[in-house]
Amino acid sequence: MSQPGTRTLELQPTPLRARGTAGTWLTGMALFVCVVMIVGLLGLILVSGSRTFWQRPIENVTLASGQSFYGMRFRTEQSPDMGERTLYRVGNRDLGQQPFRWVDEDEIANRERPDDAVLIERYEWGIWLGVPTRIIEIDDDGGRSVAAEGAQNVLEKLPSYLDAARARHIRAEKIRSDEIAKLNHKLEKLRLTDLNAKLRANSAEHNGHIGYGLWCSLVVLCLGSALGVYVLNAPIPRRLLILAMCLTALGAFVERPWADRPISQEQLDEILAGTSARRIKLAAQFTELTDQVAAIEAEDARYRVEIIDPLTGRFAALSQSQTDEPMKVSQIIRVVQPNKMGLSGKVGLYLSRWWEFISRNPREANTEGGVFPVIIGTLLVTLLLTIAVVPLGVMAALYMREYARQGLVISILRVAINNLAGVPSIVYGVFGLGFFCYGIGGVIDGGPDPSIVLRAGQWWILLFIAAGFAFVAMTISSGGPKNKRGLLGGLAWGAVAILAVIAVFTTPYFDGFFRAKLVDGSPTFGTSGLLWASLTLALLTLPVVIVSAEEAIAAVPGSLREGSYGCGASKWQTIQRVVLPGAMPGILTGAILAMARGAGEVAPLMIVGAVKLAPQLPFEARFPFIFADRSFMHLGFHIYDLGFKSPDSEAARGYVWTTTLLLVTLVVLMNLTAIRIRTKLKARFQSGQF
Amino acid sequence: MTTQPTSTTERSVAHAVQTGVAFEAARHKELVEIDSVLDVSKFSLWYGENRALYDIAMSIPRGKVTALIGPSGCGKSTLLRSVNRLNDLVPSVRTSGEMLLNGRSIYDPGVDVISLRKRVGMVFQKSNPFPMSIFENVVYPLRIAGERKKSVLRDTCERALKSAAIWEEVKDRLHDSALGLSGGQQQRLCIARAVAVEPEVLLMDEPCSALDPIATARIEELIHDISSRYTVLIVTHNMQQASRVSDFTAFMYLGRLVEYGTTKQIFQNPHLPETEQYVTGRFG
Repeated sequence: MSQPGTRTLELQPTPLRARGTAGTWLTGMALFVCVVMIVGLLGLILVSGSRTFWQRPIENVTLASGQSFYGMRFRTEQSPDMGERTLYRVGNRDLGQQPFRWVDEDEIANRERPDDAVLIERYEWGIWLGVPTRIIEIDDDGGRSVAAEGAQNVLEKLPSYLDAARARHIRAEKIRSDEIAKLNHKLEKLRLTDLNAKLRANSAEHNGHIGYGLWCSLVVLCLGSALGVYVLNAPIPRRLLILAMCLTALGAFVERPWADRPISQEQLDEILAGTSARRIKLAAQFTELTDQVAAIEAEDARYRVEIIDPLTGRFAALSQSQTDEPMKVSQIIRVVQPNKMGLSGKVGLYLSRWWEFISRNPREANTEGGVFPVIIGTLLVTLLLTIAVVPLGVMAALYMREYARQGLVISILRVAINNLAGVPSIVYGVFGLGFFCYGIGGVIDGGPDPSIVLRAGQWWILLFIAAGFAFVAMTISSGGPKNKRGLLGGLAWGAVAILAVIAVFTTPYFDGFFRAKLVDGSPTFGTSGLLWASLTLALLTLPVVIVSAEEAIAAVPGSLREGSYGCGASKWQTIQRVVLPGAMPGILTGAILAMARGAGEVAPLMIVGAVKLAPQLPFEARFPFIFADRSFMHLGFHIYDLGFKSPDSEAARGYVWTTTLLLVTLVVLMNLTAIRIRTKLKARFQSGQF
Repeated sequence: MTTQPTSTTERSVAHAVQTGVAFEAARHKELVEIDSVLDVSKFSLWYGENRALYDIAMSIPRGKVTALIGPSGCGKSTLLRSVNRLNDLVPSVRTSGEMLLNGRSIYDPGVDVISLRKRVGMVFQKSNPFPMSIFENVVYPLRIAGERKKSVLRDTCERALKSAAIWEEVKDRLHDSALGLSGGQQQRLCIARAVAVEPEVLLMDEPCSALDPIATARIEELIHDISSRYTVLIVTHNMQQASRVSDFTAFMYLGRLVEYGTTKQIFQNPHLPETEQYVTGRFG
């Protein structure tokens, strides 16, 4: 075919190296490994977490030795000495046995599933496995009558007894949590009133009141300078008047005539008499309420049920010290007859256990019951951290992007902030404990450390020096050559800020908001708690927020800013109306990433406020609703505590998985929300056509 | 002000740039009796060490369209952005000389830049509607001025959109996002936004360079329509566009104003050879 003068086209085969087939495989494998690891982790958590609450059948296991016991098969594994062995959950802890039992498969002679076997979930001492035999009623003079006999009869009648017991339980709980708690709160207030009064009576040394005449002239001076600031336009007198206004206002505040002044012995006696009269009245109310609760408990004690453990033949006892008395019906939470249960019944039980897990308080060293306070604690700490970190981070990012001169200082600052993200979180925890809890919290509780408090005269000299620096700073930053004012003005303002902080920590005019409690030995804010934990986490997540907000702000097109300026908008208006709305998707993404990080953090929380069991929720339906000084429970810390600090790790195992599943679900939900918000907002801010 | 060139060969711009002598632009005699809204005299501008404008002196006639033409980097956009002091946003910008808007200096230290920009509207090369509704885009200048009355906002929106010849197309979807409009519509929306506060001067920085020919034709028609009410100063790369829409044309080169006259004269009978070469496409 080839004609003279034309050459056949010669195609060199592309070498294998250049084709990059190996590269495709390599990158694909890397992705595969990543996916396997992530899916494996999430799958393990999902499977293990969702298995915990599924009801297993009760087996009557007869051993070769003739011994037989009730148990729920947990898992079977190859034992180290070659035989197969099975782990049974046997419950009945109050008989002195381990709630879990390993049995070699070779020893098992027979297994069957008796219909009558029941599982009792109790408020105390964990589960009980056995066969119900009798319901006993005790009348007022101690006479006993059998209300039902035989497993079938008992199981038929038990639900109505349980309902009655539950109604009484709710009633008693209402009295305890509402009325008795209110009384306790009032009594605590009275105690603090006493303590405060005693403190005021004993404070021999105090800053003398400057007298009403002097105080009024201070107020007049302050108002006068405020008027001057309003009227005058000349810069230097105006600045001086601003400072005079601040100083006189501060003076008038620290010498306010309505502040707590020392009281005499007679006044003290009067106050103490008043509180003790009130205390007697409250004590009467208290007795009345406890009587009501006692009556309910006496009623509870009348209904008993016998559930026999087949191994020992003993029934579940009233308490460890009263083993000859059968248990009260009111000690039971739930009776399950798993061997006779259909699929729908099991699903219902499963769902109701999940609901209990989410909505109830923990019991038995957190290995039973629910994690309601843990969820509340996690949500509150996340909420407070978001409220603290987002405005702060966004404002800092705005200043860095929009106002600051892009130069060496800002570059160093940016690197420093990025590095903060890499500091181990435990370091933040230690810092939070030292700085927030003991430093700031200590000052809030009991005022500044007496060893560094200045005398009034010295303190005012410090303030005047600060005012001098402020004057210099104002003068520098409002005049002078444009490119020089940044650094010098910044230094002057920095000096003002440092002096102000020193002034706060050395003031002789403040001795704490919670001094009475502190003297009593219980610090309020001067110890770990919800507020300090939130602020520590806020500090920890600040870099995330600043970096993402800065990127989002920088990504707003310059043409939009120019358009806004071209319309006559000021810089602030442009930021407010164009830059911030445009950057909002990025800012929100950063905020939610920060929330997710904060929600999953454990190490700093162990130091600054998360506890194994919080006596009170940090949230209550009375002012101020969020009690930021209280300690709280946290899902991340809860997992650690259940898994590694639990008295019975085998019993806690299931709860570790379910709690993990809950935490992971929470974090995944937050991230999904972030993605949704981002796509939604992005659609609003992107042009589809060009 | 006007001088007839004595000898065209000595007035070479390249010669002036090389030797560093001041260059006196060729101003046509038709410019003598104009009523000027903007007077620029000996205006120079530096970006840091780089000088972008060299002693520009020109008067912009009121109620006319004036086109600024010239090769890329000749300073036309810089000159345009100097009128509403948008160059202030660039750090290290320095200016000298004078610019008077209706007799008031723009670069006086006491001038409030924000209120100046309210008097000088601007339309940019790339349409830049804000990510808000069409209505909010048009009333943006009023909103930032603090106007809250619904009726005022609504009337202004309608009038501005009608001025920009886009009312009929968007009147039923005023509260839809402005980003859903086509490129040409977006640019007309930006013109509506610029004229919403009745500016003294409307600056246009290559308003059609990102548009297709049909959208361009509509914008040109619009410029022609609004020129009876507003003074328009337009930067363009397109010679045909300059000759179609403008009454006066200024040719700039290397930061200097070279020739300034009526559009007809500049295109048909330029005084300087550089201008002729540029407008006929032989250079630039």
